[in-house]
Amino acid sequence: MGQLSSKAYFVLLARLVLSATLLFAALPKIGDPVAFATSIEGFRLVGRQGSLWVALVLPWLELVVGMGLLIPQIRRGCGILIALLLLLFIGLHTSAWMRGLDISCGCFGQGEEPANYLWLILRNVGLLIAMIAVLIHDGRNPQRRCLKEDVPAS
Amino acid sequence: MAILREFFLILLLSAVGAAFSLYHGWAPLPWVEPKLAAGEIRLVDAQALDVIWLDTRPVDAFESGHIPDALFFDEADWDSSLMGLMEAWLSEPRPIVVYCGSENCGTSQRVAGRLRGALPDAEIYSLKGGWDAWAN
Repeated sequence: MGQLSSKAYFVLLARLVLSATLLFAALPKIGDPVAFATSIEGFRLVGRQGSLWVALVLPWLELVVGMGLLIPQIRRGCGILIALLLLLFIGLHTSAWMRGLDISCGCFGQGEEPANYLWLILRNVGLLIAMIAVLIHDGRNPQRRCLKEDVPAS
Repeated sequence: MAILREFFLILLLSAVGAAFSLYHGWAPLPWVEPKLAAGEIRLVDAQALDVIWLDTRPVDAFESGHIPDALFFDEADWDSSLMGLMEAWLSEPRPIVVYCGSENCGTSQRVAGRLRGALPDAEIYSLKGGWDAWAN
């Protein structure tokens, strides 16, 4: 019978929240990449064609790393990529905020309100902290899963 | 090396997903430059300018929602609609962007064409994608 320590509970919860966030972010954008491309263009960092490439690939990358975070064989690579993506998003939102752009985030597809930059940055910083905690935990426990197995006393 | 294999697998799966989107027509081909007809402007470019928005959709569509500060323009009541537009444009000359309901509605291009004749000094565009582009 498995037993979870409080730390393992936190890591499991963080993993699930991160995974669900990425899946919910990816699916609407896969369904409507043109709207996502328009949101990307609003950041004024890439042109129309560049935004179409990003809108084509990024949602699938989010989907793969979101699911992969729950698969032990690839979760380390997924975790590193998620952390890099979150750093990128924090940088993009900070840049847009500094330039005074009045845009929608595009984070979860279309139909969003104009970006509340402070909230977006704080949210991504929170997710980044959770991701780093999960990566550190996995690095210290490379052979273990979140579910800590009882080891029979010898 | 194991981490490189993980990255490779993740990128490969993402590429397969992207190819799936292209194959099913969910996403446009990114390497094909989107066509912009003469006199059209894309939403992102129009938003970068301080423009006069001109809504040429039916009045009930205008009343149920329109771009903030957009003027309603009834093509059937051309003279009075033009007077309203001229008032706004003369008080503060700015580019004028005409929009209708969707990509293929045609009204905005027609009205923009007529307005270019009526206001030869004005910079007039029709919005690519129309109201749908804004609503999305």
